[in-house]
Amino acid sequence: MFGFLGPNGAGKTTTIRTMLDLIRATSGHVRVFGLDSIADAPSIHARVGYVPGEFGLYERLTGEEYLRMFAALRGGTGADRIAPLAERLSLDITVKIRELSHGNRRKAGLIQAFMHEPDLFVLDEPTQGLDPLMQQEFHAMIDEARARGATVFLSSHVLPEVERVCDRVAIIREGRLISVDDIGELKSKALRSIDFHFEAPVPAGDFASLESVVSARAHGDSISLVVRGPLDEVVKAAARHPVVNVETREPSLEDIFLQAYRDGGTA
Amino acid sequence: MNGLLAKAWRDHRRTLTGFGIGLVLTELLYMAVYPAMRDSAADLRAMMENLPEAFRQLFGEDIASPEGYLRSQLFGELGLILFLVVAIGSGARAIAGEEEARTLDLLLATPARRAQVLRSKAIALVVLITTLGAIAFAAVLVFGPAFDLHVDAFDLATASLMLVLTSIAFASIALAIGAATGHRSAAIAVTTGTAALMYVVNALGVTVEALEPFRPLSLFRWYLSPLLLTGGLAPVNIAVLLAVAAIAYAAAHVRFGRRDLAS
Repeated sequence: MFGFLGPNGAGKTTTIRTMLDLIRATSGHVRVFGLDSIADAPSIHARVGYVPGEFGLYERLTGEEYLRMFAALRGGTGADRIAPLAERLSLDITVKIRELSHGNRRKAGLIQAFMHEPDLFVLDEPTQGLDPLMQQEFHAMIDEARARGATVFLSSHVLPEVERVCDRVAIIREGRLISVDDIGELKSKALRSIDFHFEAPVPAGDFASLESVVSARAHGDSISLVVRGPLDEVVKAAARHPVVNVETREPSLEDIFLQAYRDGGTA
Repeated sequence: MNGLLAKAWRDHRRTLTGFGIGLVLTELLYMAVYPAMRDSAADLRAMMENLPEAFRQLFGEDIASPEGYLRSQLFGELGLILFLVVAIGSGARAIAGEEEARTLDLLLATPARRAQVLRSKAIALVVLITTLGAIAFAAVLVFGPAFDLHVDAFDLATASLMLVLTSIAFASIALAIGAATGHRSAAIAVTTGTAALMYVVNALGVTVEALEPFRPLSLFRWYLSPLLLTGGLAPVNIAVLLAVAAIAYAAAHVRFGRRDLAS
């Protein structure tokens, strides 16, 4: 399970489309399964399930006709899985695609990528437009594929999605790979901000000296901290005063990027 | 490949039904008018005398004969326009239409190669245009006699073949521009503009001496020869039209094979 994280416009989709030979690299080669992305495209594509971030479907076909066509293009593989998958995602495949809602279109795109049980999933923002229940079902399907031994390459600009399904994460920014990390390591390295609201003013110095605190700022009854690493010391330090409220903010992707960017720059 | 071809053909089903019916109705209308047209042949001949040489050359001298009537009216005007509309529209849509509708990414992420997709689209276009040509041929052959339009079946067949080949050539150009650029409207605009220019050059080239050298560049010079419907097969004309279609297809193959697709 490989996450591919980057802000919008960083080059995630470009990378994916190069892997699938939809666009060609100006220089260099891409290898998938040890095969050349251009010369061996058909053999690669037969083993890949691809869900683009945005895609069109053949409006005049029914879901079933559409999916059967994809089965035919893959030599018939997966035709028998259309009905079960449609039922699982509760997609009515008997109606014309032009009558489907946005979410239902996404489902058709997912079935198309899952039906032939590929070795590699290439998913570009796969859950956008899916309701939470379907997102859950999708994650279950991903887990099953993983149990089967499939690899998942998941691209996203939102951290929680990547966090949920991925073991390792690559971060890309402005077309450059910044870091490849375990997801846990990434998060532990990330900065997060915590605001403590006390009953009375507390000196910022109580926190500034702690090892995991990067910066501490007092304003009024509150203290704003930027923390990296374990929170234990911070919470214990705060508990010595009467605490009214605690607000934590998960590190935003931009924070992590900045951090990774900085780390990458000094390394 | 079979799945691709089935898909490519399915895209044309509505076009085939719609234009097939429209074509037959148009032909019936023209054929129904023929007896009245022929009866006023004397007036017509007088009118033809006053027409510029170019028009007479283009439409054939005798607009009152069955062959002259069909050549000038159906094969030279509305019938031709209908065929070109289908050919250019369908050719432009084949690749560029899919790209603009964002369906091409998923199609090409299957084991299908770009060359195979292009080929299936081209085959479907040829089948579509040929089927329409067969419909045009059959309608005149079957209903013509009811309106005193007796034409030699072989001549009618060769004329229909020329119409089909001309349409295929323009479809191929539209397909190539669409496949090379990914823009359907550009493919339609450029091909339609080229066709219009070619038509004018061929028509005026008959009388305007300065344009005469350029007539061979017009596909209509090879299609609308005065021999159409009377002179049997014209191998050179057939070869020119086929060559243009083949060159356009080859260019599409090369460019589409390595181009970055729009997402």
